Amino acid sequence: MTTSGPILSLVGLTRRFGEIAAVDDIDLEILDGEFFTIVGPSGSGKSTLIRILAGLERVDSGAVLLRGRAITDVPANKRPTAMVFQSLALFNHKTVGENIEFAPKMRGVDPAARRARALELMDLVRLPEAYYARPVTRCSGGERQRVALARALASDPEILFFDEPLSAIDYRLRKMLEVELKDLHRETGKTFIYITHSLEEAMVMSDRIGIMRAGRLVQIGPPLEIYQQPRSRFVAEFMGEVNVLRASEFGVAGEGWLVVRPEQLRPLAPGEAADVVFEARIVNDYLLGSRKQFHARADERMLIGEIAVAAASVPGPGEPVRLGFDLGDAVRVAE
Amino acid sequence: MSSTRNRLVTALLALWTVLVLMLLYVPILSVVLASLANTRYMRFPHKVWTLDAYRDALGQYTTAELHLTSLKIAVLVALIAVLLGVFGALAFARFEWRGRSLYQRLLLLPIFFPQAVLGLALLLAMTAAGIAPSWRTAVFAHLVWVVPIVTLVISIRLYGFDVAQEEAAFDLGASRLQVFREVTLPALAPGIVSGGLFAFLLSWSNLPLSIYTTGSDTTLPLWLFSRTATNYSPLVPALAVIATGASVLVVVAAALALAGWRRLVARRSA
Amino acid sequence: MRQRVSPGLLAMLPVMALILVGFALPILLVLLYSLMPPRTFSLAGEPTLANYWAAVTEGYLLPLGWSLLLAGLTTLLCLVLAWPTAKALVRFAGRFATLATILIALPIFISESVRLFGTALFMMPGGGIFAGSLNALFGLKIGSILYTRTATLLGMVYIHFPFMLFPMVLGLSLVPQDQIEAACDLGARPFQVFREIELPLALPGITVGTLLTFVLSLGANAEAAILGGQAVIVITKAIEQRFGYAQDWPSGAALTVLVILVTAAVIFPVLRRLDLDRLIRR
Repeated sequence: MTTSGPILSLVGLTRRFGEIAAVDDIDLEILDGEFFTIVGPSGSGKSTLIRILAGLERVDSGAVLLRGRAITDVPANKRPTAMVFQSLALFNHKTVGENIEFAPKMRGVDPAARRARALELMDLVRLPEAYYARPVTRCSGGERQRVALARALASDPEILFFDEPLSAIDYRLRKMLEVELKDLHRETGKTFIYITHSLEEAMVMSDRIGIMRAGRLVQIGPPLEIYQQPRSRFVAEFMGEVNVLRASEFGVAGEGWLVVRPEQLRPLAPGEAADVVFEARIVNDYLLGSRKQFHARADERMLIGEIAVAAASVPGPGEPVRLGFDLGDAVRVAE
Repeated sequence: MSSTRNRLVTALLALWTVLVLMLLYVPILSVVLASLANTRYMRFPHKVWTLDAYRDALGQYTTAELHLTSLKIAVLVALIAVLLGVFGALAFARFEWRGRSLYQRLLLLPIFFPQAVLGLALLLAMTAAGIAPSWRTAVFAHLVWVVPIVTLVISIRLYGFDVAQEEAAFDLGASRLQVFREVTLPALAPGIVSGGLFAFLLSWSNLPLSIYTTGSDTTLPLWLFSRTATNYSPLVPALAVIATGASVLVVVAAALALAGWRRLVARRSA
Repeated sequence: MRQRVSPGLLAMLPVMALILVGFALPILLVLLYSLMPPRTFSLAGEPTLANYWAAVTEGYLLPLGWSLLLAGLTTLLCLVLAWPTAKALVRFAGRFATLATILIALPIFISESVRLFGTALFMMPGGGIFAGSLNALFGLKIGSILYTRTATLLGMVYIHFPFMLFPMVLGLSLVPQDQIEAACDLGARPFQVFREIELPLALPGITVGTLLTFVLSLGANAEAAILGGQAVIVITKAIEQRFGYAQDWPSGAALTVLVILVTAAVIFPVLRRLDLDRLIRR
């Protein structure tokens, strides 16, 4: 990863649809060569944001700067960027080769050079050469992903945008493509801006992640930081099932919440102490490979915990259990 | 539902469909049978089965003239209808705009309207405006009815079109014109071809509009209509068969030309 | 992408211009002429309702009545005949259905003068295809229904059948098979399935077919001319006579307006409620 200052700067970017601000006063700098992922639930405005960056959506106010030069009003076809669409948007009436060669063709590159470039890119995205003359309608889901990727790369963009391209793909193939995409990012050295609703997907690939909610970026940071130090309940809950407890109930001064991950809430051995202890009863448990997750009820409160299957003392449903965590393990969030 | 009963229903439905099909083709078969006689009066079964009527029909100047009139009307209607229909369909199914729903309904009105009444209204309007009806006015009359149909045919294709393809092309550096030429138009091509064929055939076979809007020019359906009542001879059914055959020929030729052109394009880009 | 004028508005302009000039304007002219004094050829006269009065008193409502009756019967017969056919085409989805669909659609592209002519040849007494064959094969001599109102009605059913069938097939294909199976599974009998599931879901398609058939057959005149002989005078024929032989434009225009009013009364309420995007998108 080459980091030499911001390639893309977003300044006070705002886009409204009627009363709703889909993108609400966003400031962001994306570094050259970075793999930046915007994560958010549906309706958070992430799609609108990436479409603004690609030049497919206009802004109401604010600016987009490419290496310090304003490109806010430059249309998509004049921007040195390319997008991989959610539907992939492959040209169904064209072959694999014709799809990949589209951008060079628009630029007037001669057929021989176009073809050489297409074959080179097909090699890069691991598409067999025999696919060159195949209609895209006769490609499998994974192959179509690769064609879309090669087609975007063929315009030799400075920035590649990804609008949830893996959302409709089955789990195994998605995992494989995530790794390949990460490899491709390293091999090409280009800036990747990716949007998804899956934090898990973002964690695998990204250098930095921005969490988006209601048109705003509520937290930006490297994956580990987002995971370990969520700054709000929203971010914490977005990452998966967690226990969110009112801080004041546990002798912690001030307003706010404690976020306790399942793996930090442990069944206590007799006599074992913890900062916070619940007398609970197991309601249900689920096997997650080498770990087991359980739901437990302590008075009116539902708790979620996790324990290694190998650990001997796993109580079953209906059995009483003492659960506890240390305040040092909990993350304190204000809202 | 028991399976025996189910099978019985299925068999009855199949039988019914075959019956309907046979009934639909009885009149057409009747025309063919009637054309194979050489007597001035219809006396089926014919004493002599002959193709004389076809020889006579093909030798007549009227045959060529009628075909020519019908052909120039139908070709013009097809070309103009496709041109207007592409834009009409874009407004119908591709773009979101205020008034689209009203437009969609207005467009249907000429289809949901008695054709002969439309023909009469157009005749009155043209006469009032001092325009003498001729094959040219017939082209216009056909268009009023055919363009909405072609628009619908192309719209159906457009509904299945992923709009993101246009954005992708634009994003990859294509100009607006290039997007239309490289992506939208080829994606619509099947709809355009079937729309064009529809337009041609509907115009070629149209009677109710042509009756009132062709003036002194005569199309094939019009001539057949006038000769069914008076002046019968085997020449009339023979010409009906020839006219229908001619439209089939045009459609087949168009399909072949298109396939050839596709192959040419494919070879050039490969 | 900045857009000031919506592209949809621009794209519809040519088509809308055609409909305005070729559809709305003639209808407006007909309306204006219908208000002119009888037997005049200019629009400068004093507006009057005399032509409508004459239409009612001088017996021109009779052709309109015949046309309405024939159109109504045609629609009814087409409904009954098309339903099992549509069911069959939807049920046998596959090669048989495709072939049958194509075969049913093809005659639409053969001129109705050819098809009605063929019907007449088939029905002709004595030496007609049907009567002649019966005579030759079995020595049977039969009469003929040619040049009667029945023949006219049969011709109208024959010509308009596809206009009922195809929208109906479209509507029926919108009924998910699993809903029918679910209804059967929940204990519905065939008629209950028809009433509770198929009919409501297929209704948009059936409505379009019914409207199309009724409106098109309302203006039909070739059937009466070729198969009806002098047995029945339909409204289009009556209008044509007022315009032509009688040289009374305002009178013909008034009759035309009456047909247009009937058409509008049938079309508008339904068209307003129809969700076109859904019906066509499938």
